[in-house]
Amino acid sequence: MSDSQNPTPDSGSMLALLLLRAWLGVRAVVTGLEKFSDSRTLQVPLLDAAGKPDSSGAMVEVTQKFYSLHSYHAIPDSMKEKFSQEPLLPAFMTTPYYAVLGWALIALGLAVLVGLWTRASLFLMGLLYVSLTFGLILIKQDGGVSWLAIHVALIAVALSLTKHNRFALTRS
Amino acid sequence: MSSREPEAKTDGLGRRRFLKTATAAGLSIALAPLHSAYAQADAGDSINIALVGLGAQGRVLMDAMLKIPGVRFVAICDIWPYARTYGQRYLKKNGFEVRAYESHKEMLEKEKGLQAVVVACPDFWHAPITNDCLRAGHHVYCEKMMSNTIEGARSMVQTMRETGKLLQIGHQRRSNPRYLVARNRLLGEARLLGRITAANAQWNRAVSADLGWPNHTAMTKELLEKYGYSDMHQFRNWRWFKKCGGGPLSDLGAHQIDILNWFLDVSPSTVIASGGRDYYSGHEWLDNAMVIYEYKLPEGTARAFYQVQTTTSAGGGYYEQFMGTEGTLRMSENPKYTQINREAAAPPWDQWISRHLLAAQKAPAKSDDDSSSGNDKVDARETAELAAYYLPVILSKLIHQPHLENFFNAVRGRGTLNCPADEAFKSEMAVFKAIEAVETRSLVTCKSSDFIA
Repeated sequence: MSDSQNPTPDSGSMLALLLLRAWLGVRAVVTGLEKFSDSRTLQVPLLDAAGKPDSSGAMVEVTQKFYSLHSYHAIPDSMKEKFSQEPLLPAFMTTPYYAVLGWALIALGLAVLVGLWTRASLFLMGLLYVSLTFGLILIKQDGGVSWLAIHVALIAVALSLTKHNRFALTRS
Repeated sequence: MSSREPEAKTDGLGRRRFLKTATAAGLSIALAPLHSAYAQADAGDSINIALVGLGAQGRVLMDAMLKIPGVRFVAICDIWPYARTYGQRYLKKNGFEVRAYESHKEMLEKEKGLQAVVVACPDFWHAPITNDCLRAGHHVYCEKMMSNTIEGARSMVQTMRETGKLLQIGHQRRSNPRYLVARNRLLGEARLLGRITAANAQWNRAVSADLGWPNHTAMTKELLEKYGYSDMHQFRNWRWFKKCGGGPLSDLGAHQIDILNWFLDVSPSTVIASGGRDYYSGHEWLDNAMVIYEYKLPEGTARAFYQVQTTTSAGGGYYEQFMGTEGTLRMSENPKYTQINREAAAPPWDQWISRHLLAAQKAPAKSDDDSSSGNDKVDARETAELAAYYLPVILSKLIHQPHLENFFNAVRGRGTLNCPADEAFKSEMAVFKAIEAVETRSLVTCKSSDFIA
């Protein structure tokens, strides 16, 4: 058999894709999770060096981060306000988009991480970033657009390497 | 009611001082000198009190005391019938039927169940009323300034010593946990600022009209003169008249000059100042003043600039700021004016942040068109902008409440005063020295003995 009929495994390309899947997956999952985060301020006694309450009886405000479904926010309010003024982004489009954005990032990120329909998952992730790019172009967030362009380029590279996909739940 | 000066005695009967020292990481700090005279608690937690003076400050204290469990109002005293009526009605709404008096002497004669008196009348009545109350066997919380004269202030300290009763002066920042933590922990334990070389403080207020009064409430000339006032205008605006008060350096400056002395833990060695009646025509006291104190600290000299302006609110609020080789602490009763900055070359503050003594401020979000990112210096010799932190300590009470609580706890025998009269006298003497420097237009040298009553 010739080499063209039985290609030898390209371990470099396989590892490159694994790295890209890991990075893109973690990036999407953590970004999605952060949309469920919030912070609360607690009042606790100020402690002295020995760990006992300060003699002044002082209380300090300590900020604590937490995650909950109630804390879900697709994008910052300031950005939402800007999008609401864009005629090309009507509410009937943005409302469902905001509702699924966080869940979509987590789901696609997990799919890419574990290799579940890797090609389709990468492609959908790329489309999600393109959709975000559309909004950022409208509100002239050029820095964000460039940032997303890097993500999309990495996805494109990953897609071009899918024939070397290993350690995946599904083959395609 | 006639003013009289008490006899001068200088013995310190039954008084001791503590200088508490806290140690951490091998460093010692001096805590506030605390008054050691424990009061005799007469009857459990309930304390019968009278409030003398129901003007603006008296009402602020009344609101704070209404939030303190165990404080039982039994009497009020004010020469103005309008204020007495207000006080009786307000306290009745809050569950206290109080007897009202025009004269504090009559009140002291008739109210036999009193344990403490809170004095918030005009400054020139502080000494005679406080001295009478102490001699009648009552503990006293008296607003600052102690008096509009050095002799009056000194007499209060002496009466406190003679009677063995408690006399707390209303420098309320001394019981504010934010100030206590800043002084004792940040400056003392952490030595966050390095060597303090300078300080500045200010309280600037916009131009305001003199206080008026409803026509039908005006007191007769005879009644006003009986209590030392020329007319209703002087009664309502006593702070601006030399025989009644001490002007802005006394009204506003006393609080902040007290903080300079307390935080630096020493009295000033010299004072220069300038001020005058620049704007208001109907006042006797200066309306604007700028003062420079020199302090001899153990590690070297530090200078403090204080300004009070009553003709402009410019200058960014009211605060007391301490500047050192490793950082700057700006304190204010209003948390929004409080800030801590770290010099770039200072040792890391991580351990103090992890112990919640301070917290990093969130950096303001940069706008897209912010072209200053990178370098906004216009001169290479400029010091870069310092990292900013805030004091996470909160005070969720009215600002006078902790100081009053400290007083009532001391009356119950459960603590010591945070600002006994002899300690307050030191700071108030620094105010008198500033007024002297303004009036003589000369360098005023202070001896350590000047600050001892």
